[in-house]
Amino acid sequence: MELDKDNANPTILNPSDLPSRRRELAVKKREDGGTGLFDELIPAYTYLNDPFDGPVSSSDSDDDSVEDIDEQEIYDLISSISDPEHPLSLGSLAVVNLPDIHIQPPTNPLSSISTVVVEITPTITHCSLATVIGLGVRVRLEQALPPRFRVDVRVKKGTHSTDDQVNKQLGDKERVAAALENGTLMGVIRRMLATCE
Amino acid sequence: MAPPPDAPSSTLRPLATLSPPSNSRAWQSAPHPSLPLVATACSDKTVRVYSLTSFTLVHSISGGHKRSIRSVSWKPGLKGQSVLATGSFDASAGIWRRHEGGEQEHDFTGAGRDEEDDEEAEDEDYQFSCILDGHESEIKSLQWSPSGQYLATCSRDKSVWIWEELEDDNFETVAVLQEHDGDVKCVAWHPEEDLLASASYDDTVRLYREDQDDWVQVGVIEGHGETVWWVEFEGSGMAQKDFRSRRDGLTEEQSQHVELLERSGPRLATCSDDKTVRLWRRTPKERSEQDSRSTGIPSVLRSFSIDEEWLEDAILPQQHERTVYSVSWSRKTGMIVSTGSDGRIIVYKERWRDPASNSVKTSVQNSEAMEGVGNSEAKAHTPSLTEWVVVAELFSAHDVFEVNHVCWAPRKDKGRRDDDEEVIVSTGDDGVVRVWVLD
Repeated sequence: MELDKDNANPTILNPSDLPSRRRELAVKKREDGGTGLFDELIPAYTYLNDPFDGPVSSSDSDDDSVEDIDEQEIYDLISSISDPEHPLSLGSLAVVNLPDIHIQPPTNPLSSISTVVVEITPTITHCSLATVIGLGVRVRLEQALPPRFRVDVRVKKGTHSTDDQVNKQLGDKERVAAALENGTLMGVIRRMLATCE
Repeated sequence: MAPPPDAPSSTLRPLATLSPPSNSRAWQSAPHPSLPLVATACSDKTVRVYSLTSFTLVHSISGGHKRSIRSVSWKPGLKGQSVLATGSFDASAGIWRRHEGGEQEHDFTGAGRDEEDDEEAEDEDYQFSCILDGHESEIKSLQWSPSGQYLATCSRDKSVWIWEELEDDNFETVAVLQEHDGDVKCVAWHPEEDLLASASYDDTVRLYREDQDDWVQVGVIEGHGETVWWVEFEGSGMAQKDFRSRRDGLTEEQSQHVELLERSGPRLATCSDDKTVRLWRRTPKERSEQDSRSTGIPSVLRSFSIDEEWLEDAILPQQHERTVYSVSWSRKTGMIVSTGSDGRIIVYKERWRDPASNSVKTSVQNSEAMEGVGNSEAKAHTPSLTEWVVVAELFSAHDVFEVNHVCWAPRKDKGRRDDDEEVIVSTGDDGVVRVWVLD
């Protein structure tokens, strides 16, 4: 699976060029109109009673407001994932990019489901590892985000020769569930996510 | 008289949460064909059998599969024993047996005996009786035929297998059908005929029947724009049970429509990643063809083909925002229930379209909804005489979690209002099975 590198010479971004909370904070908070924009739409939900919600959300809550997760936070969760074939992060390889992350609030006042859409950019158009990278991103977000988030990971349009097929696989819950029961594949994913904590 | 189409006329009320729940994803639940039980397939490699009278766990079946159990099906038509088939991500199907020592008689004896029955039930476990190997990868769904003669299984390996039980625990593979170009997500049997339908990742539904000792594909349904997750036939003889049973005062057109549906037989419901629920109707064969079928002339000499044409009958009002995973047709009322990734449960009902107001709002032939879907030739005939309306709509049925499956089951608890009353059973990513009543 990892014998030949698909892209032996990828472009690498300088860490100081990567988007980070530090620089964004002052501006970003303002243009969002402060916190609580979506909160009124979301019925109260007690995370304490939720067996699926591990210690992640509590340790992640760097501010004490109620779960106001923004794109930067999503970026922070996935940019540190390692590329399966290079000792580099998906952020520094520009596989995940802040402008390609979108959070869609609940569409109906009676619904509490938000959607996170992440478009990944494989380093080259025929990268056979696009599915594995996408799976890593999906697994990372499903483990780290509260369950009210639906995670849609897609290959950015036009960046991959078989993007429709990859997208269909990544969107198929049953295939993803079965893949996570595959020891070999999970080993690869685990190594990718090892650099996240 | 008719309520406005956008105001659901009923509500779904929570009746019970089956306890204790599984602490991992639950995929699908199957009500027992005669006993007040429901079996739930869980990703923790177990099947949980709950009582629909006490709403508690009666049995936990484990130790048979190495990976998630994705699907369960009770063998119909048995007396004195229960047989359960399990389909797993480990590529195998398991057959489990349990002798039901006269429990069926206690079925109606009321509350006093329930507890006793439950204890009695714990005495004997479900015995693993055999394993069906053959699929190359995860089994996604399985179902017994209504006669109990056949078991159909389907898998990510793109194939559908039909097994015939020659005698107890002796299964023979009678067909391996490899027509699909992608994972086969679901299989379902016709309630009256040995006709099998399968739904797939390749966005199609395919139909099969036996022709001269060989099972062959007899139809393809194209129309969904994405993976088809579930397929289920309408119940038998529903024209006597649903809105069609009131024959007085029908227009000639409506009477003809009822007659046409009767000749078509039970319809098919499907749901998809394209967020729609669709119904399909078979084009009835000409009478002469049906006559020659019964004459016993070998099919090579027959003048007609066994191919079936299934056309789109309706698209249900689009209430889902994400993948629709499951759809189920009530055998009592003809109502349909659907659920999916958005966590909603929607109940729909068919009724005569008011001929005066040709409202497009809930129109089943809505051309906008058909946009980009393809089979426009299916739409050549006049607008449908009936329409499907939303009867009840429930958000967050399993809190914030996805709901993987929904089905109807007979109501069996003390509170039931009449013998025909039904409940809706939903199964979610939270590992919970919930029971709902329609008020």
